[in-house]
Amino acid sequence: MLVGCLADNRLSEYREIRPCPATPPLTSSYKSPCGFNTKQMEDNRLVGKISDITQAKENYMSINIGIPRAMLYHDFGRLWRHFFDALGEASTLSGETTKQHLDRGTSLAVDESCLPLKIYLGHVETLLPGCSHILVPRITRYHPGFYHCAKLAGLPDIVRNTFRLSADRIIAPNIETNGKPGIYKAAASAAAAAGHSRPAGCLALRRALATWRGQPAADAAVPMETGKKVAVIGHSYLLKDSFLCGDILAILKARAVTVLTPADLDNKLAYNEARRLSPDIYWQLPAKTAGAACHFAGRPDIAGLILVSSFGCGLDSMMNEYLEHRVLRPSNKPYLIISLDEHTGRAGVATRVEAFWDLVEWRQKP
Amino acid sequence: MKITYPHMGHLSAPISNMLRQLDIEVCPPPPITKKTVELGSLHSPEGVCLPYKINMGNFLESLDQGADAVITLCGAGKCRFGFYGALQKSALQRRKAVSFFTVDTEHLLGDLYRLLTKLSPRAGRLAILRAIALTVQKLRALDEISAAKNRFGARCIAPDKIIAFCEYGCGEIAECDTFGEISHIRDLILDIVSSQCDPEPTPVPRVALVGEFYVLLEPYVNHWIENHLITQGIHVQKFVNYGNWAYSKVFLQLLGLYNEETDYLAAARPYMTHHVGGDGLKSVGAAAISAAAGYDGIIHVYPFGCMPEIVAQYALKNLSADHSLPLLTLGVDEHSSAVGITTRLEAFADCIKRQKPNPRH
Repeated sequence: MLVGCLADNRLSEYREIRPCPATPPLTSSYKSPCGFNTKQMEDNRLVGKISDITQAKENYMSINIGIPRAMLYHDFGRLWRHFFDALGEASTLSGETTKQHLDRGTSLAVDESCLPLKIYLGHVETLLPGCSHILVPRITRYHPGFYHCAKLAGLPDIVRNTFRLSADRIIAPNIETNGKPGIYKAAASAAAAAGHSRPAGCLALRRALATWRGQPAADAAVPMETGKKVAVIGHSYLLKDSFLCGDILAILKARAVTVLTPADLDNKLAYNEARRLSPDIYWQLPAKTAGAACHFAGRPDIAGLILVSSFGCGLDSMMNEYLEHRVLRPSNKPYLIISLDEHTGRAGVATRVEAFWDLVEWRQKP
Repeated sequence: MKITYPHMGHLSAPISNMLRQLDIEVCPPPPITKKTVELGSLHSPEGVCLPYKINMGNFLESLDQGADAVITLCGAGKCRFGFYGALQKSALQRRKAVSFFTVDTEHLLGDLYRLLTKLSPRAGRLAILRAIALTVQKLRALDEISAAKNRFGARCIAPDKIIAFCEYGCGEIAECDTFGEISHIRDLILDIVSSQCDPEPTPVPRVALVGEFYVLLEPYVNHWIENHLITQGIHVQKFVNYGNWAYSKVFLQLLGLYNEETDYLAAARPYMTHHVGGDGLKSVGAAAISAAAGYDGIIHVYPFGCMPEIVAQYALKNLSADHSLPLLTLGVDEHSSAVGITTRLEAFADCIKRQKPNPRH
């Protein structure tokens, strides 16, 4: 949410692509055929490849890098954009998630994919006609001892396979490291993919990091001290996406409730709490939510906890159970677990959140 | 202390023999039945993958039979398997005081050795190492028998007999006490099985079986998919084997001689360019290898919701389209029925046989 607001303020700086209602012209090349006609497939692929490149060359004299507003964009998006600014390349951000992103993503993705992945593919599709390159980073590990999930590790491969893109249309820096050199190496490879020298990439990352760190964390949203506080815990790509979680936050805000999310916590605090809960947690995103759950459950000023996850999220399917038994139940606070998927109706979510809030208020009555 | 462990294919008998040889009291889990699956699902998170639920069912059934300690595998990767241990431990200990031992797949030999010395303090070092080596040898023999079953079963007149005989042979191998006995029985079985077949190899359709480790190796979960295809006269090549896996994990990787991922990574390009945890890369690599080797179809089996295999599916879809290779994806969970799977397999077999008829059928 907060990052979204910030990005909106700067609309003048970046070209914003609205999701176009018409089906993009690339559809024919990646729609899977019913039969197994190899020759036709190969021709299609070849045509797709050549037309992609010529299109990119003709329509865009300069490089324009598309950044999907999904998945880890909500954590690192501003850093990525500062990076391309520092390189002097234009970057285009996809619009806020809409129903159309979700619908297109659902039809493009393998059925069992998780909700954020479907939305990601929807965002990539809206970017493809207008951009010469798409930034799809492969972020697997950058924090010692923590990993990201399989889908983030396979994100460039998923995008490439879904849209049948040639490798040079995707900028896919690979971050699988414990230390800083690996991140600089990834920046260098991203710069090389955009036609810059590798040292220029390192320099750009240095500048981008300085700008990024200079900005106030969590955009300095000072929480109102009303006394009623609820923690909404989930991954940032769910909570910061107003299409997915906007309703939950709006219902709570309408009742003058202060909402706290894992983004309001210091990373170090969250990870330490998670380590204390269980040293076995080796996924980074669930470690943060687990740490946040522990922290918020232990705070007396938090009246209740809402755990938001997406259906098909492998990590949350286990972490939610673990947190429920180890943290939420012992805390003796009202809690609500919401699973979102592409069939989730607004009324269903609203009813549950309202009932939850009634319960919290009822408990607080003297 | 009575030790139990989860089922996985034919693994149970060699493991319980290994533990018994070292004077460790064992309580083998009862065979997997519908009740096991239901019990396991009842005590598991609903969204978790099938192997977790079945492991849980095995543990609960053995605990009811008096076991009070659990050995299980665990591996840090990007897949959920690495977190099984923590969750199962807390779920079991809510019911009963249980000792929980995990063996990390990344340091298999070291962890196993340490665990066995702890459980059997009187056994000598050599005895423990010999017991581990004997078990690995047994598993490799089981792999060879399984490969022979697939090869000759598809080409002979009475595949049912071959399947039954190989089942019997696997039981015999599990009871062996010396290396000599293992190789003797293995050769005997291989000779008998191959003698049931024409000396000239008959061309039959070949299908590659790729996917997730557990569901490929546990026949109850994949509804005896291999036997099913054998009786249809289709040669199944399985790319996941416990013996080879254990051998490379226990001995070769320790010496730094072998890393199977590099081979599969080279084969999987350009469809998949990085490791994605679990067996995702291996599935794509194996499918690419079999496409290049002229196989007639690919069957991809995985537990419903398996994260690495979903990533693999994106690649497999394109791979099968580019090589015009029929692809059957089977996601199994506790609700999948034998009839549903049989129907799909029969339709798939028909599709393949129409492309390449088997002279015998």
